[in-house]
Amino acid sequence: MICAGVDAGSRTAKVVLFDSDSLGVAAAGVVDQGIDQDAVADALFVRLIRENGIDPSQVGPVVGTGYGRKLIRFAQKTITEITCQAAGIRHSVPEARTIIDIGGQDSKYLRLNGNGSVADFAMNDRCAAGTGRFLELLAAQLGVRLDRLGEIAALSRNPAIISSMCAVFAETEIVGLLASGITTADIAAGVLASIATRVAAMSGRNLDGPIVLTGGVALVPGMEAALESILGQPVAVAPRPQITCALGAAILAWKSLNGSPTPTA
Amino acid sequence: MNDRPRKITLDQWDDRHAELRAAGLNEPSYGGPLGRHAAQGDVRLRKLSFDNSPAALRLWNFLLSEEDRLRDCKARGKKLVGAMKDLGTVPVMVYSLPNLAAFYPDGAWWLPCMKENRTDLLKIADSLGIDDSFCPVRAMLGAFVNQKHFPLPGLLTCSVGATCDDFSAIAQRVESLGFPILWWEIPHRRRPDGDEPVVELPGGFTAPETQVAFVRAELERIRRALADYAGEPLTDELLSAGIERANQVRSILGKLRELAYCANPCPMPALEMLIAEMLAIHFCSDHNETVAVLAELRDEVVRRVRAGIGVLADDAVRVFWVNPVADLRVMNLLEDAGGRVCGTEYLFCHALDPIPADLPPMEALARMALADPMVGSPRDRTGRIVADIRRFGAEALVVSRIPGASHCAWEAAAIGEAVRAQLDIPMIDIEVPSLADAMRPTLRTRLEALLETARTRRR
Repeated sequence: MICAGVDAGSRTAKVVLFDSDSLGVAAAGVVDQGIDQDAVADALFVRLIRENGIDPSQVGPVVGTGYGRKLIRFAQKTITEITCQAAGIRHSVPEARTIIDIGGQDSKYLRLNGNGSVADFAMNDRCAAGTGRFLELLAAQLGVRLDRLGEIAALSRNPAIISSMCAVFAETEIVGLLASGITTADIAAGVLASIATRVAAMSGRNLDGPIVLTGGVALVPGMEAALESILGQPVAVAPRPQITCALGAAILAWKSLNGSPTPTA
Repeated sequence: MNDRPRKITLDQWDDRHAELRAAGLNEPSYGGPLGRHAAQGDVRLRKLSFDNSPAALRLWNFLLSEEDRLRDCKARGKKLVGAMKDLGTVPVMVYSLPNLAAFYPDGAWWLPCMKENRTDLLKIADSLGIDDSFCPVRAMLGAFVNQKHFPLPGLLTCSVGATCDDFSAIAQRVESLGFPILWWEIPHRRRPDGDEPVVELPGGFTAPETQVAFVRAELERIRRALADYAGEPLTDELLSAGIERANQVRSILGKLRELAYCANPCPMPALEMLIAEMLAIHFCSDHNETVAVLAELRDEVVRRVRAGIGVLADDAVRVFWVNPVADLRVMNLLEDAGGRVCGTEYLFCHALDPIPADLPPMEALARMALADPMVGSPRDRTGRIVADIRRFGAEALVVSRIPGASHCAWEAAAIGEAVRAQLDIPMIDIEVPSLADAMRPTLRTRLEALLETARTRRR
């Protein structure tokens, strides 16, 4: 039986097909988000089934999650990204006790119990600071591709201080820093440190380890190092960080199949 | 007619009202279909869901008719007192004099929500330099200027000192426009030093005797002003009787809260309970009617509890809620997401405690005023919240911040930290503007995630 998780995020849609026999990922995909979130996710879902030779009759329950979860009409159930992220990380990094999830539109901190369930969480979703969108904007301002930001930041000898907590004002700061001769590397390092600082402030201090970084921004090289520097603790990047939330949704879909209660609100 | 408790829309209420009238519903003078308030501008009502009891209908009509009732009151020769910022002290004194009625101009803070900003109140405030960096209570400034929402009172009082900075600035701007205010100072409540005489306050707090004496002296100034305005002395006997009546309201509310927050299934929605609790601080311009409205609501809750019926699912997650919301719709949202309110601290929990009846009345009022959660430290406030979470058995905590409100800017973190440390229940803090529609998906996600987390802990 294949169980599916659909994570309708603000920047991308992710689908994971979970094989309940092997308890592993049968297929996974990520596509850019669109106006019609249901159509975008559905197209990805259908493509993954077709490309991986999965018999559609073997596809069981579908759980929707993410910002646009209510829009996914083919999902039988919706569960928030907090619960799904915890389930996904529980599967891929069972020893994790703290999750930092930096997505396109928000960032989250999750504290996990010993059994992997959520003990507590906090979210930043009212401004772009501390999110992938913040990184995108500032990388564009620097004329640097997002996937090279960390590489360039690693060359920094004296990271710049980005003091604005507002993405728009931070862009203005960068214009000023560039005009005053600060190197791109120092500014890039400052940008990563700014996000790490913001996320650390949301998370509080004395985080329980192991700490796992996930979400799309975890793919930016150097982000985990910036977090380690601010938090003073090791931070590991989750395997396939973009899909851990969809994976969790698929696992919760499978558990609902087994009669395990899922914490649908 | 279906009398099963449930939540209904405004249109459904109007249909139900017609049915109830046909069945002989007896309404007070301010009664009628709720839809008329929406037609007159309270358009937010169209997006809310309501309890379907006649008691709730009366509660809403009482709230939404306040402007008209105040005008009637003035026309009948009663003298009006606007009691600003003070959460529950001066109104008790005002209603001790038969020819006075108090109201709460700060209540205008809900007008931008109720009218979905189809009003010039905030534009007026903007034009007077009180912009959106201030709390939504700035709508009050617009209401004083356009004089469309409440009749101008003959006496305005306002507490100042250990109150919100933003509110003080707004009230000062009101005064600068030619509305004289009788200010009275409430000091920051501090813990007595080791050698200072200590006074016990309602709610389990303490204060130095000198602070209580100071507040008593400040309230004596208010007492003299009220007596001058009323043209008759405000005697201790009148005050004691006023305190007794205020305690009657508090007693009904205490019973109502105990039942509504503890019984399962939930017998009364969070929105109606929020409105009911608010009556404790200002009596919605009519003390006697407040008693009748709350008693009917209490009786309905008692009936539902005895019958084992309610408005929400049995397994709704029990949530303690801190601070009132600027957008009433958010209380519906919590319940739509599968939660229920089990305990509140809407910034005036002191106004729910009985005023000591065994003390001289001015001493009792001074102690009550100093027990205000906003004039003490966040530690004191948090202590009470933790105790009440335990008392009501809440499984999760929501701290709802009010944009621009200086007292809300940093207390959420302090409350959250203490609750996590002492109770280890999940909490979120959210910011709720006057119209939260655009934020609804993100608010819903946070609330749902909180409820999911609490549910997981049940297993």
